[in-house]
Order: sequence, then C-alpha cells, then structure tokens
Amino acid sequence: MISLLGIYRPGTTPLHKASAGLKSLMLLLTVIVTMMVDDPVTSVGIMCACLLLLVSTAPPAKATLRAMGIIMVVAVLTVSFQLWRGEVERAIDVAADLTAIAALALAISCSTPMESMLDLVSRMVRPFGRILPPETIGLMFALTLRAIPEAARIFIDARTAARARGLERDPRAVLIPGATRTVGFALQLGQALHARGIAEEAKPERTEKKPRRDRRSEKAAAKEHAAAQATADAETSETPLVTYSTTKPANDVAGPTTAPEGNTSAS
Amino acid sequence: MIEFKAAAVTAPDSGVSILEPTTLTLTEERISIIGANGSGKSTLARLINGLVLPITGTVEVDGLDTVKQGAKVRRKVGYLFTDPTSQLIMPTAVEDVTLSLRRIIDDKSERTEAALTALEEIGLGGKGDVSVNALSGGQRQLLALAGVLAVTPEVIVADEPTTLLDLRWRAHVGALLRTLPLQVIEVTHDLDAASRAHRTIVIDSGAVAFDGDPAEAVKFYRDLMFGRPTRTADA
Repeated sequence: MISLLGIYRPGTTPLHKASAGLKSLMLLLTVIVTMMVDDPVTSVGIMCACLLLLVSTAPPAKATLRAMGIIMVVAVLTVSFQLWRGEVERAIDVAADLTAIAALALAISCSTPMESMLDLVSRMVRPFGRILPPETIGLMFALTLRAIPEAARIFIDARTAARARGLERDPRAVLIPGATRTVGFALQLGQALHARGIAEEAKPERTEKKPRRDRRSEKAAAKEHAAAQATADAETSETPLVTYSTTKPANDVAGPTTAPEGNTSAS
Repeated sequence: MIEFKAAAVTAPDSGVSILEPTTLTLTEERISIIGANGSGKSTLARLINGLVLPITGTVEVDGLDTVKQGAKVRRKVGYLFTDPTSQLIMPTAVEDVTLSLRRIIDDKSERTEAALTALEEIGLGGKGDVSVNALSGGQRQLLALAGVLAVTPEVIVADEPTTLLDLRWRAHVGALLRTLPLQVIEVTHDLDAASRAHRTIVIDSGAVAFDGDPAEAVKFYRDLMFGRPTRTADA
C-alpha cells in the first residue's frame, strides 16, 4: 500500500483531465452510494465502472496489483464470513463495494498530481483562512502523505536491525528506535521546509523587540528628574519644591531605550 | 556578503557551547568548511541560512539579520542537506521543484514549466514525473539542488552534499557545485574538494582554528587530526 504514494502517472485520459475537486467528489459520492445501496447487481455494476476507470489510467501494474491484492484478501475474508452466515447477496454486495472504492481511489491517485490535491485542499480551507492558513493546511496534507512511507521504511529498518541483533521477540527493540528515528525524520523535514522557505510567506518578519518598560526605573527616573528640576529651579526661582514632589511621574519621562548594561544578547 | 559578528551558539538546555563567538566576513565565491565530526561545522553553516540562530552576536547576509529577517535571508541563501531524502517533500520530481516555486510564481502552468526547465538544466530532464523514491541517491541530491536553484538564490550553503554519494555521483555533484555562478559555501570531509575552494575554514571544538588558504588549511587540518604539533591558528 505504501508504494501507492507517488503512484501518479501523467496521461491524457478523461480522468487525468478532470479536476481534483471533481474526482474527490466522485469518490465521496461513490462511497455514499455503495454504502446506501444493498442491491448486489448495482454494486457489481459500480465496481465494473470503477475497475474500467482504473484500467483507463494505465496504472503501474506491480503497485496496483499489490494494492488490489490486499483489498482482495480483506474482501475474501468478509465474503467468507457473509457466506458462512448464509447471506450470499450481502457477500457479493460487500465484496463489490470494497473493490469499487479501492479501484476508484487508485484511479484517482494515478491520475491526480499531488500539487492539484494540494491546491484543492488549499482552496477548501480558504474560507477559514483567518483560522487555518490555506497554504499550511495544503502542505500538511502533502507532508502527511510524504511521511507515511518514510515512517514505514524506518520501522521496517528497525525491525531488520532488531532481527540482526537477535531481538526480534522484543517489541522495544523495534518501537524505541523506530519512534526515535521517526521523530528525527520529522525534525529533518521541518528543517528542510524551513531552509527552503516553504510556508514562510504568511509569517510576519520578526520585528525588533521594544525595550521592556520598567515602571520602577521610570518612577525612579521621574523622581530623579523632578528632584534635579527642583534643585535647578530652586537655584533660579522662588518656586517651592513641593510643586515637583507632588507631580505625578509623567509618561513623557523617557524610559530606558537601550538594553540594560551587560546584556548584549541579540537573540 | 556574509558577516558573523561574534556569533555564538550554545545548547538550549545544557548551555554547553556549540560554537564560540565567531567573527568572519565571507566574500569569496567558493568557501569550504572542514573539521572533525561534531566540531561545529554544520552549526556554522546553518547560521548562514537562519536554521540555527545565534544566542549572542549576529549573522548578516547582505545586511539582513538572520534573526530578524529570516525569511528574506532564506530567499537569498539556499541550503542543501547531506541526506536529500529529508529535503524532498513531494512525491514526484517536478512537483517537488514546483513546491519551491510556489512562493515566486503564481501561475500553475508557468510554475510547472519553470520546474521542468530547472530539472532539464540540472540533468534530470525526463525524470519529472518519476517518484522521488524511484530516483537514485545521486539523482535525489540533484533534485534537491534543482529545488534550491529554481528559486535563484545568491548563496548556496551545502552541508556535506556528497557524503552519501558514490564516487561517480560525488564527482558529478561536486563539479556541478563548482560551476554554479553564485557563492557556494560547502561543508565537507572531502579534502580534495575543500582544497579547490578560494578559502577554507577549519573548525575545531566549536571555534575557527584556521581560516585562509585552502592548501594550508588542509595541511593544518591533517596535522590537527593526527595529533602532530600545529602552528598557531591564523584566526
């Protein structure tokens, strides 16, 4: 199933030409219809249509057969259960539904470039742009698809390494390195996004921090200023000192505009 | 021009110094950075792109501060990682380059056209619709480079770009980096590649141990690594 990510093949079929939105809607409708319709003949009909659509996109044979093989295993198990219960029609319906949905999903994957899906997701979340940045949501979608095969590969590697060390029976030998390396991959991916400046456009540039207002220093400075003024005025006029002592420390008294002494950090 | 003004980096939790206060002005077109594993080479390189921010001091690229104007700096400075797998995000080659171009070209068809041209120029013509998982290590590194070059940076910082490649791809990617008409700063363990630069910086224990002529730098580094007595560092 993992190999299906990146299964897109360019082409000129009707499905290739259809928009990603239309194809997604088609998949959604197919899922709803197959869930609602219990008639086996209709289900088989839908399944045939979906399989034809899949064939029309000329998907890569190996990956498609592998994916369909997995669906077939699930279908066979489900059909066996339904047959065991004596529900033949239901068995046909379920098997046809499963195959139809899987085939259509594959057909869409084969005929839709990731960028179109990214655009679709971005368009869909645009009305919520104030809460969810569309580009970021679209990117999240792409990253999720990118991360799935990588995480699987990491866990397969971890399992192989555990086997090589004779620790195949110890789940910790797979889970701990697998989880650690997955987190490591996520960090690397984040750094790569950062380095490439992707999804950075919406973010405002960091502005220089305003020096923190230190009210205590301001009060002290105001008092000092007032006292100095008072002394100066006392020397030049008859104005009583009390005028200044009752003056409210004004906001126009300049606060510290430079960082405190000794703090040269630029971060 | 890239300027380090007493830029230092410490580990966020432990406070251990990763890079001592470093002052450098990088103007040469080809600069190589060499040093032992864990010496601080990558940290120095990452400071240029703003991937790592200095705890004290500043790093400026053409007067743009990496802390305050990070996004603008990254538009000027492209970064190439050792492992291209973590740099490639989209499933196919053309889509990955297109992703880089989203911020500079609005029109989708123009973007695709530009991406295909970028792939053609780098030698991946015809590989546009190939899954990134189906590309070889060397082709992936080329693709990562195409994604970086597509947005026309003025500087490329390459962090051991050939370490994971076989001899043939190493030569190919190395030659490609040498011919780029922009400033290239390469962190490398390949001393031949390092000695072809215009200037070489040797990093040891989080500090610049030598800065100058590549041939002398390589000799200094060899002496440093094999424990022979060294002469006083130039910087």
